[in-house]
Amino acid sequence: MIKCVIWDLDNTLFDGVYLESDVPPAANATLAGVVHELAGRGILQAIASKNPPEAAQHAERVTGHAFAAALCGWGAKSAAIRAIMTELGLTAEAVAFVDDDALERAEVSFTLPDVLVLEPQDIPEAAGWPPFSPPVMTDEARRRGELYLQRRARQEEARAFGGSRDEFLRHSQTRVTIGRATPADLPRLHELSVRTHQFNSAGSAVSEAEFADLIGSPSYEVATVRLADRFGDDGLVGGCVVVTGGTWQVPLLMMSCRALGRGVIDAFLTWICRTARAAGAAQVALPCLITPRNVPLRIALTGAGFKVGPADHNRHGTGAHRDPRTGRTAVYVRDLGEPLADLPSWARQP
Amino acid sequence: MTGNLTSEIRQLLAELTGNSRPLDAPLETALLRDGIGLDSLGGTVLLTQIEQRYGVDIAGEDLNLDSLASIGTLVAYLSAQLGRR
Repeated sequence: MIKCVIWDLDNTLFDGVYLESDVPPAANATLAGVVHELAGRGILQAIASKNPPEAAQHAERVTGHAFAAALCGWGAKSAAIRAIMTELGLTAEAVAFVDDDALERAEVSFTLPDVLVLEPQDIPEAAGWPPFSPPVMTDEARRRGELYLQRRARQEEARAFGGSRDEFLRHSQTRVTIGRATPADLPRLHELSVRTHQFNSAGSAVSEAEFADLIGSPSYEVATVRLADRFGDDGLVGGCVVVTGGTWQVPLLMMSCRALGRGVIDAFLTWICRTARAAGAAQVALPCLITPRNVPLRIALTGAGFKVGPADHNRHGTGAHRDPRTGRTAVYVRDLGEPLADLPSWARQP
Repeated sequence: MTGNLTSEIRQLLAELTGNSRPLDAPLETALLRDGIGLDSLGGTVLLTQIEQRYGVDIAGEDLNLDSLASIGTLVAYLSAQLGRR
């Protein structure tokens, strides 16, 4: 699924070359239309151009679109795309790149083989392909571009802010609200199960009907986490499915990468562990797919005191039997007898 | 070798966190959360940079990510992996 299209400017989004025109070039009307069409589907639009930064501002004026990220400079396009991926929390598979220059396209294809590289004349048709057509459209999806603009403002302020990350989260009036899922949350929960990779323990889509069954079942709890701060309201950014008991099982934990770096996953894991302990459980067990893509989730689990359970070590052993690229599962276990972190003051629970 | 590696890793951590504390913090200082203060994003960037710089894929090799416990465990893990070559 493509989550972001990164556009070249000269002779691509612009009809002409920015620095070689007496009058700054106009937008290519067809491609500007594609920008608006895709943004309306919740796909982010970004710029990577070998131009001064003013070119990006000009692009915003002539296309009438506020881009989620813009990188203008004279470095390699692949480096610009990498920087945009980091800024927006995206993986290469989620990115399409459009450029009229064959050399630039080749450089990106070679360096980032997972990026979908397109010529300008192909993008209007490509926009009709399945990877550009999200299966579900939620409020969060429609507002995605706007949310990323808030993110830009937040990141700019964070860079200028002198204190620690926790101090910045407080300074931004971060509010994490954990609650029990309701039927109104079903489309967004399904969407998160499809779209999240970096913070997804299970790695398979869960339908709205399946989530509805889980919410209705006495054996399961489905919790949601919402995020807002003074820059904006991100809405529902994560969820988990829990089976309560002596050991709390967590068959699914997922969070939008938009919430990355904002303390949400740490607060959510702390809440799960504290709630399990308060209910009398001795441990929390969370089966987690082992893929290169969900490293952020595994780091968060490690930071929250989860360890890969012994059963998994026996099953997978060490060395040659283990292939980290095949998507195996390990069971992460948190012993609730060990000290637990406090829930941050800005997190609210049911 | 380990001495150089330790100072390289300290330097990398200082760049990632934007403060100089990792340069002289004790080796047993935790990397995540309360120690150096790396979150999952910072930790991911650290692993990516280590893979690019040293060719060691910690996320793929060390399921538990025990190597991320402290500055010392990270240096020891890397040094063992590099020594094997």
